Amino acid sequence: MSFIEVEHLKYRYPHTERLALDDLSFSVEKGEFIGIIGENGAGKSTLSQAFTGLVPQFYKGAYGGRVTVDGLEAGKTPVSALCQKVGLVFQNPFNQLSGARDNVYEEVIFGMQNLGVEREEMKRRAREALELLDIWQFRDRNPFDLSGGQMQRVAIASVLVMRPEVIVLDEPTSQLDPKGSEEVFAAVDSLARSGITILMVEQKIEKLAAYCDRILLLHRGRQVAFDSPRRVLSRGDLEEMGIRPPACTRICRELGKSFPDGTWPVTEEEAAELMRDLPKPLRAGGGEKEEGVRKPSPEEALFQIRQLGFSYTEGVPVLEGLNLDLDGRPTAVIGQNGAGKTTLVKLLKGLLRPVSGTISFCGEDTSQKTVAMLAGKIGYVFQNPDDQIFKYNVLDEVMFGPLNIGMSPEKAEAEAKRALETVGLAGREGENPYDLELNERKMVAIASVLAMDTDVVILDEPTIAQDYRGRSAIAGVIRDLKSRGKLVLAILHDMDFVAECFERVIVMAHGRILADGDAGSVFSMDEVLEEARLQKPFVARLCERLGCAGSCLTAEEFLRKSGYRES
Amino acid sequence: MKLFKTKLDAATIVLIPACIGINYLGKLFASFLKLPLWLDSIGTCIGGCLGGPIIGAICGAANNLIYGFTAGDNITLIYALTSLGIGLAAGIMARLGFMKTFPKALATACVAGLVAVLISTPLNVIFWGGTTGNVWGDAVFAATQAAGMPVLLGSFLDEVVVDVPDKLITLLVVFFILKGLPKKLTALYETDAKIESLD
Amino acid sequence: MKSISLYVDNKTWLTGVHPFTKLLYIAAAISIPLIAGKLWAFGCCIAVSLCALAAGKILKRTVPLIAFSFTILLTIFLIHGLFHQGNTNVLFSVGPLRFYREGVLYACRIGLNILNMLLSFAILVLSTRPSELVEELEKRGFSPRFGYIINSVFQIIPQMMGTMSTITDAQRSRGMETEGSLWTRAKAFLPLISPVVMSSLINTRERAVALEVRGFGSKRKRTYLADRPAHRGDRAITICLLLLMAAVVGWRIGTCLLSK
Repeated sequence: MSFIEVEHLKYRYPHTERLALDDLSFSVEKGEFIGIIGENGAGKSTLSQAFTGLVPQFYKGAYGGRVTVDGLEAGKTPVSALCQKVGLVFQNPFNQLSGARDNVYEEVIFGMQNLGVEREEMKRRAREALELLDIWQFRDRNPFDLSGGQMQRVAIASVLVMRPEVIVLDEPTSQLDPKGSEEVFAAVDSLARSGITILMVEQKIEKLAAYCDRILLLHRGRQVAFDSPRRVLSRGDLEEMGIRPPACTRICRELGKSFPDGTWPVTEEEAAELMRDLPKPLRAGGGEKEEGVRKPSPEEALFQIRQLGFSYTEGVPVLEGLNLDLDGRPTAVIGQNGAGKTTLVKLLKGLLRPVSGTISFCGEDTSQKTVAMLAGKIGYVFQNPDDQIFKYNVLDEVMFGPLNIGMSPEKAEAEAKRALETVGLAGREGENPYDLELNERKMVAIASVLAMDTDVVILDEPTIAQDYRGRSAIAGVIRDLKSRGKLVLAILHDMDFVAECFERVIVMAHGRILADGDAGSVFSMDEVLEEARLQKPFVARLCERLGCAGSCLTAEEFLRKSGYRES
Repeated sequence: MKLFKTKLDAATIVLIPACIGINYLGKLFASFLKLPLWLDSIGTCIGGCLGGPIIGAICGAANNLIYGFTAGDNITLIYALTSLGIGLAAGIMARLGFMKTFPKALATACVAGLVAVLISTPLNVIFWGGTTGNVWGDAVFAATQAAGMPVLLGSFLDEVVVDVPDKLITLLVVFFILKGLPKKLTALYETDAKIESLD
Repeated sequence: MKSISLYVDNKTWLTGVHPFTKLLYIAAAISIPLIAGKLWAFGCCIAVSLCALAAGKILKRTVPLIAFSFTILLTIFLIHGLFHQGNTNVLFSVGPLRFYREGVLYACRIGLNILNMLLSFAILVLSTRPSELVEELEKRGFSPRFGYIINSVFQIIPQMMGTMSTITDAQRSRGMETEGSLWTRAKAFLPLISPVVMSSLINTRERAVALEVRGFGSKRKRTYLADRPAHRGDRAITICLLLLMAAVVGWRIGTCLLSK
């Protein structure tokens, strides 16, 4: 018998009609690394919770079939006993801390205290886990004061000390900045090497493809495939299931470069191997030179920022001597958390007042205007949609802003409906926003700002928690705004998305602008990316491996420039 | 449905601190927006409506005890009994179905307000000689004393003026919040939920 | 992160005293004057509390606590001094207002009682880490579930306050006014409080899951990281307090019997 056995697993949440899990059967061997993929709503999180017995014991509902882990039946073993066999780490780093301990060390101890682990043993295990995850130095800090990546590692450590033989990770990096995700991936890597069995749900397919022994593909609660990454990701119907294959798989598929067994490469290494003897895309310096940093002329600049300085506490500057002109091009601001990105956009929006320097919008100094006066001109979508939603149906929520800025009810409703259409929520006007999933609530928040029909739209981390479909919808929103002559300014952590959708990229670190230009030129500045601790888009890294660094950033560009596809 | 049946699992235990936090915020927002109300029992009522009367009572009592013992606000300590009563009343009314429609919620508000008045009045008389610390209420109390009415009656009127409108607004807010909560969440608090078999 | 707890670890002897000793002191300080029934007993207890606070170097931090209840003390003096039922002898008058001896005396009694409670509580509140109090309670059989509730409140409130300022920004960004007439402000109440209430309730679902997978439902006896080092004064103080309380009860019973 295998280590983990899933037999005809079926589950339905209370008060719902549809099966969240519909007849899953598979088995996992000890020490394997399994990836679980699927679009939002495919049943990935539900399955994760079925391994820990939370489904059905915590959620109730209707359950069928069996999940056994090392002989224990997950549906019937009390969660408090099963948690010593199976650990669970999920998306939101905040919510998985106990919330009752004021330093990292005690937080990690919490689970062991509940299980009555002997004192010296607790200390030993805590030290081991904290050192393994490289957070021993934060042991006396308040866990809520840490960054997302650090917090997520605390969460992993507090599960690890329970000595589970299996760890289930449910999108542990989806809400982290690039550095935080790197930290967590490194932690997962060291777990994998310690021989623990890992089941990981993840949207970052490129990452999974590199780590996994096998991938389970779910769609609408059903098991579509359970096979090696190459076999699963070579399926022709992935896009229909809301999954985008890794960029190198897409490229190789277009090029017709497959392995002898008919599968496509899924990692950079594999792709580089197969493509070694193919013609390379032209270097940027070659025939098709991209235009360099185009400085907008003052009259076309929407925002003129001069010598901008800001600090929350005196003597600790967050922004210093910042000069920037923003025109109508879709612009992405990238950088680590704490680089001053959110502070900058809050200043633009008038939510914060400059300590020194000036910001003028359409030729007028914004320091003379109140937030309410700017509301109709500049829209700002906050990172967390739950910070703004308060109405009980989607349409009312989206109409709140337009009505506030003095639109007539008829116009507000028309604008709201159009905005919902753009984000892909048409027909769901009457639903309660809280019944929607986080990714859909995020779309409601975006729509509620789009409906205000402002000249500028600021988006803070729009792609968080979005799957392929969601990202495409946001790309559509950006295109639509651009075609209507509006400025889109977005803070982003997803470099591939930046390369695909933005004409101008601004790199920030330590409150300063390190680079400003089109995506091609910014992503070829190695020192700048190093200093800002950012990674290049996936295709750019592939190009480096192929020996044509700096030539292209996206799969489409790669195919066009290497002459396989007409532009 | 049993009126006092209570689950004391992780879901309800986690609900209690959230409710206590909501009480605190309500009070803070009321003073931030300079509203002439307390609004410090929104969380207690939510706890009562979701988790049942016992959870409501725990939310209320724990709220005042925690602030009293740790934040130095020991005047609230005495009113732990009042908060307990409010949570209990809201919980019982909700279990009886009095939070389902708007007019029924108003009835719950009146009950909660009266419970608050009945418990607070003797406490006010014992500890402060009848005042409440709310300007409007105390003006009424001063007037009754000047008119020579008994302290108990004056203090009662003092409380009525303060508590009944406060509880009306509080339960209105609670009603709208409960209406908006996703089924996914409220399902966790159902006491009679069973695991159905699909085999 | 800003805590709502008023405790600051200033390493004085008072922070080393066991929380239970401080709890006993509160009980003694409140009950002794009430049993004795004399105004000067309040004075004695207040004096002892003040000395303890001064020795613990936290006297200054009691000022905001007293200031907090100052308004209620003031209204008590005004209302009872002016309108108390038993008022007959005028004590003094300010302009047209006549303060009566009986009312002022009654207000004094209430005021001293409040002040006494406030100061005895201040000793506990200002010199004890809340999680330490909870842990000691748990070790003596207090339910860990309730222990969790108390600790969690201290973490959750600063988080909610942080969220609250973000929400205010988010709604102002959508053109909502938070200042102006009472109606404007009242209208702003729901958009401001609703998101934080809803999200904190919705977050409880994940938080509960987090507790479940960390063995919160386990019935086993919990273990603790450290034993609390015993403080030398604890025993002596406890014995003194108990003796004092017994003495006051004895004295009161004695005087009652004698007067008959």
